[in-house]
Amino acid sequence: MLKVSDLAVGYGGTPVIEGIDLDVATGDFTSLIGPSGSGKTSILRVVTKLLLPLRGAVELDVAVRDVGFLFQDDALLPWRTVRQNVALGLHIRDVPSDAADDQAEHWLTVLGLGGFGDRYPGQLSGGQRKRVAIAQVLALEPRLLLMDEPFASLDAIVRTRITQELLEWVEHKHLTVLLVTHDLEEAISASDVVYVLGQGPRATILARHQVDIPRPRDVLEARRHPAFGPLLGCLWQELSAESKPSSTTA
Amino acid sequence: MTVNSLASNVRRCVTLLGLLILWEAGARVGWMDPFYLPPPSTVGRVMFTLAVSGELWPHLGATAVAAFAGLLVGLGLGIGLGFAAALSPILAELLEPVMILLNAIPRVILAPLFVIWLGIGLASKLALATVLVAVLIFFSVYNGIKEVDPRLVERIRTLGGGRRILIGEVYIPSVTAWVMGNFKVAVGFAFTGAVVGEFVASSRGLGYLLQFAQSTYNAALTIALVVIIMTFVLLLFAIAERLERHLLGWRYL
Repeated sequence: MLKVSDLAVGYGGTPVIEGIDLDVATGDFTSLIGPSGSGKTSILRVVTKLLLPLRGAVELDVAVRDVGFLFQDDALLPWRTVRQNVALGLHIRDVPSDAADDQAEHWLTVLGLGGFGDRYPGQLSGGQRKRVAIAQVLALEPRLLLMDEPFASLDAIVRTRITQELLEWVEHKHLTVLLVTHDLEEAISASDVVYVLGQGPRATILARHQVDIPRPRDVLEARRHPAFGPLLGCLWQELSAESKPSSTTA
Repeated sequence: MTVNSLASNVRRCVTLLGLLILWEAGARVGWMDPFYLPPPSTVGRVMFTLAVSGELWPHLGATAVAAFAGLLVGLGLGIGLGFAAALSPILAELLEPVMILLNAIPRVILAPLFVIWLGIGLASKLALATVLVAVLIFFSVYNGIKEVDPRLVERIRTLGGGRRILIGEVYIPSVTAWVMGNFKVAVGFAFTGAVVGEFVASSRGLGYLLQFAQSTYNAALTIALVVIIMTFVLLLFAIAERLERHLLGWRYL
């Protein structure tokens, strides 16, 4: 569904990432993990055309309008009600107002926010705002879902609950997902494939791991699966080796 | 109104009343020269006479027309130029230095020039009020657009929105918040422009009356006019605040 080849991204001067090759198969949940500042987000921004690469190619099997992007911040319009925020993408796609509002209400109900449509984002908790952001993206029925550490700001319980709900939806709809995270356990428990990105600048892909845990999954149960521990150890070692300070001195 | 804010308002009113009583008593026992500081009762009598005789209303009307017209034209000009400069780097390059210069100087010094160019009628007062308001609003809009939350812009773009949607859903609401934040100041500026313009050269308006009161050393009339202008502007502030709460209701939830 998504193929990234020899991608290099920089913000003037040295590339942050280079030589990046990624292959996200249709229906797979793929995670990209790496240290903070390694350029994980930049890859998603290139895919959504928010950022131009220095070189490399991005091939998508779907139109850009079929790609949903869930940001790290919920990025809701504070002057629009929850319903209007969820319906925003539908309005942009010229869905008639009444139909867009009905669909927005449906998605709010699916995500446990029925009756919250007339509130403003400022009246919601962090977890509720995140659900609105998810509803806004899912209402467009994307075929490829890109997620940039979407739940990083939430507490552990809310985070686990929302991750589980989203995972069930992804499995039910056979969505293709590329998740960027630095949470190794989250990556393993949700994914079919985990890519490891090294430390920047000039960060490259260090490894690709298949996650052999059967679906459907429960994100907490998955952590008790025999395949979980060894893979976690392996990822930990790979990233630890990357972040070790250099033994040579200047 | 909460109990705390009610108590605070009561304290303010009592303090003001106390000061007025002190002022009145001071004038009556001869601590103050009523020629320079006439007591509140004299000022009140002047205000009453101005209102009842009907002398006040044409002047108040003239000032209000100049101020409102200046406010409207200034808002239109400031918003238009602010948007144009924010969306066009070439226009920004031309406009920004001019606006910074106009912002840096006390713009009321332009009043005599406007009288020379436009005469002593409404046009020169309107021009001064317009310049005062337009510069303020220009920076509100210009900065408002430049400091729009980039996450909201990216959100709209990833949802498939183009320039039109961005302007309607992000830039205009964001700029409205900035403009409304300065709207009360703009109302004050519009009145400043109108009154100062009338003060410099005019045949009517509250500024003209002030100039007359000053030239005849009439302190009671001067204070009465200051109180009338303050009352009128405070009334407009209250209306502006209502408008702000209506337009930016989401901020007050």
